Amino acid sequence: MNNSEITSTPILSMQKINKWFGPLHVLHDVTMNVHEGEVVVIIGASGSGKSTFLRCINFLEEAERGTIVYKGKPILKNRNLTAIRKEIGMVFQHFNLFPHMTVLHNVMEGPVHTKRMPSHEAETLALSLLEKVGLSDKADVYPSTLSGGQKQRVAIARALAMQPSVMLFDEPTSALDPELVGEVVSVMKDLANEGMTMIVVTHEMWFAKEAADRVVFMDEGRIVEEASPDKMFSEPENERTQQFLKQILNN
Amino acid sequence: MGNLIPWDFSVIPLKFHLFVQAAGYTIFISFFGILAGTVSGLFVSLMKISKNKVVSGIASVYIFVIRGTPLLLQLFIIYYGLIALVAIPPLLSAIIALGFHNGAYIAEIFRGSIQSIHYGQMEAALSLGMTKPKAMVRIILPQAFKRAVPPLGNQFIIALKDSSLASTIAVPELLLRGRQMGASSFQYMEMLIIVAVWYLLMTGVFSVIIHRIEKKLKVSDREQ
Repeated sequence: MNNSEITSTPILSMQKINKWFGPLHVLHDVTMNVHEGEVVVIIGASGSGKSTFLRCINFLEEAERGTIVYKGKPILKNRNLTAIRKEIGMVFQHFNLFPHMTVLHNVMEGPVHTKRMPSHEAETLALSLLEKVGLSDKADVYPSTLSGGQKQRVAIARALAMQPSVMLFDEPTSALDPELVGEVVSVMKDLANEGMTMIVVTHEMWFAKEAADRVVFMDEGRIVEEASPDKMFSEPENERTQQFLKQILNN
Repeated sequence: MGNLIPWDFSVIPLKFHLFVQAAGYTIFISFFGILAGTVSGLFVSLMKISKNKVVSGIASVYIFVIRGTPLLLQLFIIYYGLIALVAIPPLLSAIIALGFHNGAYIAEIFRGSIQSIHYGQMEAALSLGMTKPKAMVRIILPQAFKRAVPPLGNQFIIALKDSSLASTIAVPELLLRGRQMGASSFQYMEMLIIVAVWYLLMTGVFSVIIHRIEKKLKVSDREQ
């Protein structure tokens, strides 16, 4: 299997995605291929379209033009979208845990109610995932009693409970107090090391440095530069990338 | 100063069973009126937030018409107005009118509470592969109901008092009974005060129940 990265079909392929918010053209022909096991980190200033692009992948935003192909099949809103969403997990900036359910039931919700997994099976799965994110002792509490970092780890467990092939992370640490960022990023790094395919929009450059296979820089709705983390952080080619990284890394 | 007739509550114990019976009518009308109103209100609220313009338009017209006309008029239309088409008995007319009327208000209560749930909840549910209806039932509505409880309680109390309009179409509920007994004994004030006490008793008990429910539902909101 030589050149498998190049010859194998990507698990996700976003082709010429265009998105408008009213008159505002926020994504211009954004194209990206992600292969199985790859960790792609998207960076860029706020307003660069990176979150919108991520949200277009599972149709939380609908792109006006462009195609998204998952495992060789285009995702179509009224045909296979719901089924494919079950295979693409998503973690949100503001966690979006279900406040009326305990932590355990948050994690069980997906498998039980969209995959019809028997309840006891889902519970075993959920407990093992809570253990994985270090929150076994919180299974029976409600989300409102958790810290931000704990909430986000539950949210990761909830997404993983669907046993997805791809995980999308939409600024998963942006709403966290600085001292809580580490616990979430370390869970994400574990996932990356286990071979999960991940697309991560983040400002945590050290996650990008340590876990990414590829870093993508977006600016004004376009992919401006794409490189390995080593290259991206040591010798970025594009001027906007250089400016952005200088600003971010100085902080 | 006219002739002052001293108030005399001594006959009350003799009429007690009549008031119990009348209160039974009031509770009966209110209960089924509220039930019909809640069910139709939920339905109409979902119609109103529908993306289908025809469906949401129907809901809007319903709310506009029902909220914009007096309940008494609606009751008369159902009882007297429809008589050429179908004769609806007074008790049923009262329940239908109360149900329709409250449906419009309760629809707005539900709509408000559904729309107050952060869109991130729907997105999280969709990202797990739920369909929209499923996400509504599993994720949005349970949270929305909780927020709807205080305004719903308020609306239910209004409905209970509005059931007194049934007295105009000869349903022997509290107000009608009180007036009848006042007329026959000339003890108007006494009878009307008794009616007032009955209403206060019922709305009071109701307020306590609502309060209890609110407290119970707060469990998952508890802060650290």
